[in-house]
This record gives sequence, structure tokens and C-alpha cells, in this order.
Amino acid sequence: MNNAAPLLQVRQVAASRPGESGALQRVLQKTTFRVDAGEILAVVGPSGSGKSTLLRLLNRLLEAESGDILLSGENIRHFPPAELRASIPLVSQKPFLFPGTVMENLQASARLRQTELPTSSDPSLQELLELCHVDPAWLDRDARKLSVGQQQRVCLARAMVGPCQVLLLDEPTSALDRPTADQMALTFRQLAREKNLAIIFVTHDLRLTSRCADHVIFMANGAVVEEGSATQLLNHPETAEVQAFLDSGSEDDREVSA
Amino acid sequence: MTASIIDLSLWDLVTVYSLLLMSIGLAHLLKAGQSKDLFWSGLRMFIQLLVVGYVLHLIFALETPLPVLLILIVMVGFAVQTIGARVQTKMPHFYRVVGTAILFGCGGMTFFFCSLVIGLEPWYDPRYLIPLAGMIIGNSMTGASLAVERLAAEFRERRDEIETGLCLGGSIQTVSETAVSSAFRAALIPSVNAMAAMGLVFLPGMMTGQILSGTEPLIAVKYQIAIMCVITGSVSLTTFFILKLGYRAYFTPYQSLRED
Repeated sequence: MNNAAPLLQVRQVAASRPGESGALQRVLQKTTFRVDAGEILAVVGPSGSGKSTLLRLLNRLLEAESGDILLSGENIRHFPPAELRASIPLVSQKPFLFPGTVMENLQASARLRQTELPTSSDPSLQELLELCHVDPAWLDRDARKLSVGQQQRVCLARAMVGPCQVLLLDEPTSALDRPTADQMALTFRQLAREKNLAIIFVTHDLRLTSRCADHVIFMANGAVVEEGSATQLLNHPETAEVQAFLDSGSEDDREVSA
Repeated sequence: MTASIIDLSLWDLVTVYSLLLMSIGLAHLLKAGQSKDLFWSGLRMFIQLLVVGYVLHLIFALETPLPVLLILIVMVGFAVQTIGARVQTKMPHFYRVVGTAILFGCGGMTFFFCSLVIGLEPWYDPRYLIPLAGMIIGNSMTGASLAVERLAAEFRERRDEIETGLCLGGSIQTVSETAVSSAFRAALIPSVNAMAAMGLVFLPGMMTGQILSGTEPLIAVKYQIAIMCVITGSVSLTTFFILKLGYRAYFTPYQSLRED
């Protein structure tokens, strides 16, 4: 595995954005990591730590100031941005559904990516809906009238209409209650395994992280403080910052799995 | 025919200005606080039109194309300036986008009408070219401000929708479609309404003017129909240019939404 190029490779990527005074501010220090197909990476840290910036750099909603991001060994700057985003879709924190039914939302996604429009009898669509726990009975319903949890699932399915390799999720469980969030963690595991998809999510939900992430990057003030396997980082953190963050989360938020 | 025109004497003008005094008096009576505005805009109108009258008089006598073209350029400049003042939220690169659109949209339509339809001889005959260009630019200006304003509003209100579209792999053209079509619709509403109400609700200014100056009503009607088609054509072409150039200005070179 080591001699093949990783699916996504982030090398020395740094970013700045205009601050309140208008002057450029470093929001992400040089960051390096890699993600392989079928792997789930959690980017954890307090608000304002640069997590969301990092996510938006990966599909070029923001432009990196320096460093390279490679998708299957190819610099993402060499892809037309629309093509890149079709294979690295991002699901935003607040689910946004287009006006219309759930089916129309799925079809809109196919139209945006210029792939074949799915129909409800499509086996591939049925498989996708099942993976994302989207009830086929919702297809004809007004998407905006679903519950937030249901909307989040529809957004997930919508992001995967058509071929994609990496899935970016911004705070995927922030709007969900615990049972729904737990189910979501299960969904991510299934997606990564069955579609051989790399998933990168940004969160401060430690429970979600411990339930589905393979690797964790902990960020604070725009820099990676610590990284490692989920079990190691959540159970035996090496830095005081991570320890403090873990302690600040209420005890039962974390499921320590040995 | 022109012999039948009744000129207005200086005394006649003074008489009509007394109506402005009356309006000022009424405004004062109702404490509308508009007396000053009425006075100053009345004075501005007087001076501006007097200057325009003398300039036109001079240019009509000159019979060379250069001053005519100069006037047209100045009109385009004023139009862009006026849109800039009227519109609250300007798109990025506003002046470049609107200037280009007005120049080519209005310029193209004016040339089309004057050269290909009327067949002006000489091509720059200021008696036709200047007032026609004025009407075309003036109306397109209204359409353009509506389009610019609406496009800005759409990009503000639809930010989430547009970004979601981008995140799913949509091109900037596809994700802007709704915003662009809605802005185009807004820009064309006045033209659609004007054409539908023409002759029933009001007699259009140009036609009235031509009739007053002795033109056969049927000729005046034909001119009015022609100018309305040209105006609608110009509004849609100018708006089209503004939107096609303008929506791109909301995106970065790497096709994400600008932050500001």
C-alpha cells in the first residue's frame, strides 16, 4: 500500500484570510496529512481552530496560500474546480436542500455534476438510499419539511449521486440528537467500507469521533497539535491541549473503547 | 408642416414657472418640507436643458461626426454614473461590467436602428442620432439598474444554495442560473408593462412630441412602435451583457464564491 499514492495527500498547506482589520491573518499553519480510500479521518478541535478552513481548502472553496493538495497523486489545481468538487463533495454543517422534493434534490445533484439522472427504480440509487438510511418513502416529500436529521441524510445521499472518492463533512452531527448522531456514525462506517470512500469530517463531537474515526487530527489556533489513531489520541493523548479538550467534554460524551 | 409649430416666448416660460411657485406654495402649506427641493430641481432643469439646447443647436450646425460621437460617449458615461448612484449594492468590477454592457448593448441597438432601419444620411445625423440614443440609453439604464440590484440581492439571498451547488460539483454558470434569470426578468418588466399599456393608459412622450411638432399621427405611431421594439431590444441586450459579465464577478478565479 505504501508505494501507491494515497487517495488524498495534504503537504505543507497553509492559508491566510482577511481578518477584521482587512489585513491577512494566518488561519492555518503548514499542515501535512494523508487519507487513504476507505479511511475515516476526524479533524477535531475547538471553534476557530481552522478546522472548517482546512475542509474548504480541500475542495478549493478556499485557495491555499502555500503547499500542495494531491488527489490520487495529482495536484488539485490541475482539475477543473467543478470536476474536483464532484469527486470531493462537501456537505455543509446546516443542511441546505433545494426547493422541491427529495427526489428532485437528488436529480439536481446529478444535473449539477452532469451525470445520468437517477430514477426511483434505479438499483444504484436504492442502494445509496439504504446506505444513507434515507427512506424511499421520503422521495416524493417536500425535502424542506423533513426533520433536520432526515435532511442531513438526504444531503449525504445527494452528495453521493454520481461517482465520488472523498466525502467532506462539516460538523455532521451538530444539529442531531444523540441516537440520530450514533446512527450517523454507523452510516459513515458503512459508507467508507462499502463504497471504499475516504471520509473527512470536522467536529468537536468526541462521541462521533470515537465511534467511527480511524485517525484523528487535533487542531488548535490554526495548527495541528497532535495526530494519531483514534484509539490512541482519545485514550492516551500526548499533549496537554488535547487532554484539556477531552476533559472539557462531558464524561459520557466519550465512549472509551480499549 | 413645421410652420404650424407655435413657439414659446420668454413670457410663456415665465408663466409656466409660476406653476412651480404654486407647487412650492402648496408644499409649504402642507409642511411637506419640499420647497427647497422643488426650487433647486426646477432651477437645475432650467439650466441643464438650456445648456443642452445650445449644445444641440451648435452640433446640428457643425455637421461633423466627432462632436456627435463625443456627446454619445458622455451620455454613456452619465448613464453608468447614474446607475452607480442608484444601485445600493454594486457587483464586483461594477463600472467595467456596466460600462461595457451599455456601450455594446445600447451602441449596437442604436446603430442597428439608425443605420439599418432608418438609413440615416449622413450616418451621424445628430437630429436623429442624439435623441434616439438618449431614449435607448435612458431606458436601458433603468433596466440595467434593476438587473444589477436584483443580481446582488439574488447572490446575497441564495448564497447557501449557490455554495451547495458548487460543493456538489456544479459549474459557476449552472449554479447562477436562477439568479441570472430572475435578474433578467426584473429588468424587462418595465418594458413589458410599457408595451402592453401603450396608447391605452398613456400616450408615449416621443409620439406626443412628434404630433405636437406637426408629424402625421400615423408616422408618429410607426416611429413609436419602432422605438419601443428597439428599446426593448436594447434593454434585453444590455441586461444580457451585464448578467453574463456580472455573475462571474461574484466568483473567484478558482470558481468559488467571493467572500465580500
